[in-house]
Formats: sequence, structure tokens, C-alpha cells
Amino acid sequence: MNNGYFDKFLMIDLSSGNSREAVVPDWLKASFVGGKGYGLKLLYDLTPPQCDPLAADNVLMFMTGPLTGTLAPSMRACVVTKSPLTGALLDSYFGGSFGPEIKYCGYDGIIITGRASEPVYLRVDDGRVEIRPARQLWGMNTLEVNHAIKGELQDDSVKIASIGPAGENMVSFALISCEYNRQAGRGGAGAVMGSKNLKAVALRGSKPVKVSNQSKFLEDVALAYRELRDSPDIQDMTLHGTASSVPFANETGVLPRRNYLDGTFAGAVEISDFGQNKHLWLRSDACTGCPIRCSKVGYLRSGRYRGTVSDIVEYETAALLGSNLEISDVKAVTHLAHLCDTLGLDCMSAGGVLGFAMEAAEKNLLPQQQVRGHEIKFGSVEAAESLLRAIALREDGPGSLLAGGVRRAAEKLGAQAKQFAVHIKGLETPAWGPRGATGIALSLMTADRGGCHQRGMPLGEDLGGAPWQGRQVDRLAVTGKAEIVIHKQNYLAALDTFVKCDFGAFGISPATYLKLYHSCTGQSLENEEGLQTLGARIWNMGRLYNLREGVDPAQDTLPPRFREPLPSGPCKGHRFTRDDLDTMLDEYYQLRGWTEKGLPAEETLKKLQLPDTKNKFSFS
Amino acid sequence: MRAVIYSKFDLCSGCNICRMICSEIKTGGTNPRLALLNLEKHGLVNRPVVCAQCQNAFCLKVCPVGAIYRQEDSGTVLIDGPKCTGCGLCAEACQINTIVMDQQEGIARKCDLCGGDPACVRYCPTGALELVALGGDKDE
Repeated sequence: MNNGYFDKFLMIDLSSGNSREAVVPDWLKASFVGGKGYGLKLLYDLTPPQCDPLAADNVLMFMTGPLTGTLAPSMRACVVTKSPLTGALLDSYFGGSFGPEIKYCGYDGIIITGRASEPVYLRVDDGRVEIRPARQLWGMNTLEVNHAIKGELQDDSVKIASIGPAGENMVSFALISCEYNRQAGRGGAGAVMGSKNLKAVALRGSKPVKVSNQSKFLEDVALAYRELRDSPDIQDMTLHGTASSVPFANETGVLPRRNYLDGTFAGAVEISDFGQNKHLWLRSDACTGCPIRCSKVGYLRSGRYRGTVSDIVEYETAALLGSNLEISDVKAVTHLAHLCDTLGLDCMSAGGVLGFAMEAAEKNLLPQQQVRGHEIKFGSVEAAESLLRAIALREDGPGSLLAGGVRRAAEKLGAQAKQFAVHIKGLETPAWGPRGATGIALSLMTADRGGCHQRGMPLGEDLGGAPWQGRQVDRLAVTGKAEIVIHKQNYLAALDTFVKCDFGAFGISPATYLKLYHSCTGQSLENEEGLQTLGARIWNMGRLYNLREGVDPAQDTLPPRFREPLPSGPCKGHRFTRDDLDTMLDEYYQLRGWTEKGLPAEETLKKLQLPDTKNKFSFS
Repeated sequence: MRAVIYSKFDLCSGCNICRMICSEIKTGGTNPRLALLNLEKHGLVNRPVVCAQCQNAFCLKVCPVGAIYRQEDSGTVLIDGPKCTGCGLCAEACQINTIVMDQQEGIARKCDLCGGDPACVRYCPTGALELVALGGDKDE
């Protein structure tokens, strides 16, 4: 196949142990392109309505796009499944080298259904598929199992995706660790893998990915490289990764502190690129095929955690395990991040969950105010570490209480706890305000997988002075943000079919992505409008799935915390009222072509060539 | 003067772009496993392993059909494709594993420095690969 694709899925049913190859149908490729598009459409078609995310009939998919594994810079792959944390769709993206290896094995995606009767791991060696026992690997952390499998197979070059104890114990925000230490972090994909008794997937592939027009493709690759090299955002990313966003978020007043109570933190510089550069980093590290190298590698040279080898503590983690917990010791934050990675917990949700627990303890709402002998309180590294271990192992007490995420824990603790339970649709929110940034708020409210930072947050427009269609944007305006958010959501959803990395998209222009897609596949999406249409089709497909699964549009909202005034910072006093939210949502639904209740209108679905679902959903 | 690619582990980010472009140019498709250079992980660093264009080239010495030869001016060690029988002795003899057996064509392949302008060096985003001229070869 000379078009970036292999046009084959590997289908594995763990219940029977059978595997087979399935041809990717032309209609799927034409309408949904790859990655997120393939994933959401197949999630809708392959899972029975309202299935239990941890039951055998949920499907776990590793999806690539046509540009994954090619020389097109900064591409990734994704996991798509039904989230055990939210009950909604989940698409979680990962860099590293596992995604390209799916292609090198000769597949566009791996689709896993069923449940093994005992722990297993999956080995794919080009076209050979083997389900191997994993009893001896059960209990290992994400990186130990990576090395153990390489030892067992006597091959250091296999690319592995694995779960840690958190995934085995089906913690609702368990991650999948992808070769090497790159996480499909959000939404609990690791718990789905654990529910299938699947400890790891190990790949080795020797097939080349061939593009449609090689000389043109290499020209387009060179253009993308130039755009990345010339972009100030990318230059900053190369030098400092995302860690330099900590001081930025602090200065703009959107850095969470004390479970999002406030938006500024005195220790911001210490946990940022500044502190990390001083105490941790030694060199830059990159995912396969990426010239940006936003990650850093190093080890802690002194102190209690001396010897800890770690990647960069990226922005979300630095904020949610640092400022949000009032921990300003960068070495401690590094230690906590590394612990999450190895236990197999999503750092972002973990930070949200720990912040919630610390506030609940402060308000005397927890049945047990201690964990493993440590008092649960803000600023306590010992409490944070003990909570993470207790959650991953689902220990009786705070561990099992918190293992289902903030929403479930708050439901158990009662009405008062719900007031400071910071999540949207069950997904703990990212480290961006949103008080003082209404566009960010709207993107979080409407993000398809719940409170997510990768679904069209207008960071530049709201906080960085970037103009939208030639005019400045007022960070506090409640009108005019919907068109920005929708445009970005559609655009990113389209690029998530290729599958892009968010950071590459800071530098590579839409025109260049279109060129890369064209010279790789031989197909054309015409222009930016083509990307918008593709993105809108996928976004609406996701909406149909969420509606079918019972995700009530009433969940398109912000948690109560963000309706309280911000205590400090440049946007001191800002909060969202019910009217603010209604105004923003009304505008958003209307521009999306959805009814005022948030259901895609018939003509919208028809225009996007999606199935008619008239009268299928009933929400009050 | 011999031209060789000098590899700097301290600058390597492990991105594999060198191997991706090598495979693209040499096989018409991308897969780092098909590249004519390797990337090894040692402790905290990545070490690109490239053909040394050896002065005392084992591959050249063991070839039973004389398909491996040295280019006079550059000192580059090359494989004469049509002469190669695909016996694999050169790959076995190479102590840094930079000879690849091309399963489809049934011949051995090795780094030819892309004729003097190696793509891996051109594409490397960090300068971890550099084409250098070595002088002062004592046995020349």
C-alpha cells in the first residue's frame, strides 16, 4: 500500500484467544481518515449501548493515522475505549515509539475485545500473534514489566505498552504506559486493559510505511521542519518543554492552588523549568520522528529522592501534583510524578484526586483522616505519596474511596464534598483556570471526553494576546468565544485523525498538514474548510456516542468551585454565574447546529453524513 | 582523507529521524529497523551507531566474492550490489552490526554516506551526527 495506510486492523478476542485481520472498509477511510475518527466510529459500532466499561464487551483500541510512523514530524497514536472514569468516550493520545510500531507490524490499528481468563500479554511479531501468560508479570510496575518482557523475549527492540498495579486493580484513572514512559494517561484506559487481564502488548514490526508521492512528501516534510524551527512557541518548547507554562499560568492567574481554590502560587518558579533545569534535567528527549524534543531526561542528584531518573515534569503534572497540593519542592514533585508513572496512575487525575482528598480532610469529611500513618493535608509530600500507593493498590480506607476518581468519592462523602469536587463529566479538570478565561471554560465544559485540556482551549486568545480573526479577545467576555472554541475543536479533531501531536500543531500550519496528508495518502481534504468538516463530523459522532451512553447534556457545565470568586491574582473576584454558563452554551449549541438541549439537529447530521438518530435520546 | 559520520551521544534526543530517513531513502519506505545505522540506549543516553568506514574493514576482508571494496578518494567502504551473493558473511563479521541483509533483494547493504551527503546528518535536528574528514591515517 503506497498511501501511508496498511488498510488492515488486527482484531483480537481475548475471551476465545482468537485473532484475525480485518480489512479497513473504504467508507471508513473516506469519512473518518484514521486515529480519532476511526476510533469513535468503531466505538459506536462495536460496543453494545451502555455497556459497562470494565466488562468484556468494551473494546480497547490502539489506533494510528496515515501519518503515524512516517517522516511527517511530531505524530502520535491513540487509545480509544469507553472510559470507566466518565462513562463517556475516551480517546487518549501517546507519543514515544509504540504508535509507529503498530504500523511497522502492518496494521492501522489493534482492536481488542473480550477478557482473558487469567493474566496475559500480547505479542505481535510482524503478522504473528501470540497470547502469552503474564502471571509472572502481574504486580510489576509499568517500567519493570517493560524490561521483564524484553528480557523474556531476548529483544530490547520490542515496543511495549503496559499497565502498572493501578491498571490491574482497575483504578478509574489508570494509564497505559507506552514505549518508553509515554502515557495514554487520561480517562482510565489502563483500567480497561486491566479488566481484560491484559498486562502488556509487545510489538515488533519490520514493514516499511510507504507514501503516495515520496519526493513531494519529503518536500512537505522539509516545509513542516522549517515551520517548527521558525516558530517561537516551538523554540521555547525545545528549550523548556511545557514546564515554562508554570510561571505563565501563575502570572495570568490560572494556576491551580489548594484544589483550585486559588489561581496563583508562590512556589511557581521552583516547580517550573527553572527548578527542573537546576535539579533534574541533563538532556533533551524526543518521541519517534519528532524534531521538537520537548521532553527532558535526567536524575535527581541530591536529597531524599537522589537517584530518581525522570523525564520532564510537564506542565499539567507540575501544577496538579505541585501547586494544586501546595508542594513547591521540585524534587518531591518529580518523585510523585515518577511514582504515578510507575504505579500507572494518570498524573493529572491523581493531582485532582489528591487535592480533593486534602480539602476533604481539612473539612473533616473523610472517614479516615490519615493514610499509612500520615495526616492527609495540603503540602504533605508523605501524605501525597501514601495516597498514591494506597489508591493504586485499592487499600481499604482513603485508597479505595479515591480509586474511582473525584466524582465517585464526592458522591460517597455527600453534598458538602460535591461543592469542591472539581471534575467535568467525571474527568478531573486540567491545570488551566478557568476563572478569568471564559474561552477556556467553554472548551472544558464542552470537551467530548470531559474536563480536558486538549479540546480547543483558546489559550493564546484568552491569555496570550493572540488575535482572533484580526481582533483582540477579551478574556472575560461570555459571548464570542463559541466560534473560537468550535473552530479549534473541529481543527484538532481533524488533525487527531492523522494523528498529530498537540505541540507540533503549535508550529505546523494548517496548509502544511493538508499537504502532508495529500502527498502521503494521495487523498485531498482540499482546504481548511475540509478540515473543519472532517472535524465537525468526528465531533458530532462523539456527541452521538456520549448521548447514547447516557451522558446528559446537563453535564456540559463547570463544577461549583468555579462559581466561587477567585481569591487572588489578576482576575481576583472573577467567577462564573449560571447565566454566564447558559449564555456561552446557548451560543455554542446554536453554532454547532445542535438543539437548545444540546442534541445534534437532524439537518446537522445530514450535512455531515452521519446516521439520523431522531427521537433516539431522551434527556429532560 | 577519510570521510566518516561522527556520532555524539550527548546531543542525541533518540528521535530516530536519522533511521527513518535512511530507510526511506534506501528502501522507499519508513521503518527504523530497515535503516543502515542503529540507535542504542546506554544508561541515560542514546548512542547512534554508524558505519565506521573502517580502515581495517572486516566486512571487506571476509567477502568471498570481492563484492566489497573501498572507494579510493573518500575511503568509503562500498558493496557492489550485482556482485553480492547475499551470503551474509559480511554482516556476521561486522562487530557493530551496521550491515543489513536486504531480504527482498537477497543482498547485503551498508552505509555509503549517500554518496557524500548523508541524509541522516542532514535530517538530524540536534547536530548529533556530523560528517567529518579524518586526517593523519598512519598506514596510508
